[in-house]
Amino acid sequence: MTRMTAEGDVRVDDVAIRFKGKDGPVTALDRTTLRLRPGTFTALIGPSGCGKSTLMNAIGGFVAPSGGAITIDGAEVTGPSAKVGVIFQQYALFPWFTALGNVRFALRRFGLPRAQEIERAHAALAEVGLGAHAGKFPQQLSGGMKQRVAIARTFACGPKVLLMDEPFGALDAQTRLGMHDLLMGVWQKHRATVLFVTHDVDEALLLADDVHVMSQAPGRLIRQYHLPQPRPRAFNRSGSELLDIREEILGLLRPEGVLAAIH
Amino acid sequence: MAVSDLGDPPAVPRRGARVMPLGLLAGSARVVRPLISFVFVLAIWSGVGAAQLVPETIFPAPWTVWNATVEMWQMGTLAGDLAVSLSRAAIGFAIGATLGVALGLMTGRIALIRTLLGPFLSLLRPIPAIALVPVAIVWFGIGEGSKYFVISYTVFLTVWFNTHHGMEYVPEIYLRASRSLGASRRREFLTVIIPAAAPYIFAGLRLGVALAFLSLVAAELSGASSGLGYRLQEARQYIRTDRMFSLLIILGALGASVDMVVHQIGRKLVHWQQG
Ligand SMILES: Nc1ncnc2c1ncn2[C@@H]1O[C@H](COP(=O)(O)OP(=O)(O)OP(=O)(O)O)[C@@H](O)[C@H]1O
Ligand SMILES: [Mg+2]
Repeated sequence: MTRMTAEGDVRVDDVAIRFKGKDGPVTALDRTTLRLRPGTFTALIGPSGCGKSTLMNAIGGFVAPSGGAITIDGAEVTGPSAKVGVIFQQYALFPWFTALGNVRFALRRFGLPRAQEIERAHAALAEVGLGAHAGKFPQQLSGGMKQRVAIARTFACGPKVLLMDEPFGALDAQTRLGMHDLLMGVWQKHRATVLFVTHDVDEALLLADDVHVMSQAPGRLIRQYHLPQPRPRAFNRSGSELLDIREEILGLLRPEGVLAAIH
Repeated sequence: MAVSDLGDPPAVPRRGARVMPLGLLAGSARVVRPLISFVFVLAIWSGVGAAQLVPETIFPAPWTVWNATVEMWQMGTLAGDLAVSLSRAAIGFAIGATLGVALGLMTGRIALIRTLLGPFLSLLRPIPAIALVPVAIVWFGIGEGSKYFVISYTVFLTVWFNTHHGMEYVPEIYLRASRSLGASRRREFLTVIIPAAAPYIFAGLRLGVALAFLSLVAAELSGASSGLGYRLQEARQYIRTDRMFSLLIILGALGASVDMVVHQIGRKLVHWQQG
């Protein structure tokens, strides 16, 4: 596939993040260096509490690094911006707006004429299969539908980088599979650099170009895999290599495995 | 690939899906339940009245109270008192609520104003309305000014407190979503922070309405020449317990009706807050 954009080049350079704890500073993320190439899909996997969300929050501009620097297309990240879209596990839809209103919120920054803004919002919802639900409020939608509104909303804003923190963690297995197809479809059309946190090794292997595995807290990157297999992938037809990697990652995620990888 | 429904269950609005234990009462339960209670109390009250256990001047029977109500109506005082009291409550509420919301929006979001005023306002909250009456009379005389002051002051503090807390507890995730969607601070304030705080603001306004009625009587108990509170005071001088009962019931009914109206308006405006 051709890279349609060279934008969305994320560099995390020797970044460490510490929080003030009750008994002195707590290291949430150990010194980490990471590059996300424009337009690629990177999955981040690691034990609970290792700092995955903290790394995301830093790239999103919600948390300032204690050391090192994060740049996107050469500009240092100093706060949240429309260049970096975020999809939250808890959806974060505004309950006072309808599905359409939520998408229009994201389009507002383009200053379109009203009719055109509404038209584009409808198109964005149709793209995620929710054309018939534009007038519903988030409380009237199922979890999967809410997350689809959130995906439509975030892409409507035209982000160059997309951060997804366990976006499908609250959904059942069946819905999750549908969401994978949907995300791949929308992402291949809009192309953003994606960083995707998950606890599900299979999810990481089916979706990502690169998979990074993190250690126990305080987390750092301990292993990286590049996955050239064409999409859509499936474990039974994408070759045995995926299965081998799967075994390896599962091993790394067991507490002893992480220790072994460090020493 | 065309994306169709991904096997999600159809979205069903949940409102009104509650199952009532007494099927027959289901639709009208909201009206019927309170009526049961009123009829029950009225029956006991009538029983006590009919048995003449207590002298009428101390505890009048329901029909005596009814007659007193009709009497006050025919004299023309009741309509006048109602108009005067309602307008005092309304004006006092309007002033207090406006200031309360405005200042709550500021102390909730602007650190400097919060530091300067927050603790002071919190300290004022426990002072009861009636304790302010002497000060109000010195400052504003016994005219309408002192009534507005007492009412709006109590309304203001409650509305301010609720608005302030609503602003403080705006979920962080809404702010993150809003900022990463490119909203300016101004747009964030108007279309994210205020709606997110709206349920608290409405809870404050509803309390404020109740307080407007409570402090209305306090304000009218001294230095008024009309109004329901004044009429209560007057009835005491003539030992007209029947009129007192009538006025108390009217105050209760007024307060409850206005509260219901405000509650319904709130439900419409912050429709997303239910369940
Ligand atoms: N704002 C904060 N203040 C203090 N400590 C924090 C803060 N945010 C995170 N931490 C700590 O940093 C560490 C890493 O947290 P983080 O949420 O990044 O983990 P995670 O990898 O996302 O875990 P999970 O898989 O459970 O979501 C944890 O020990 C957490 O308690
Ligand atoms: Mg996390």
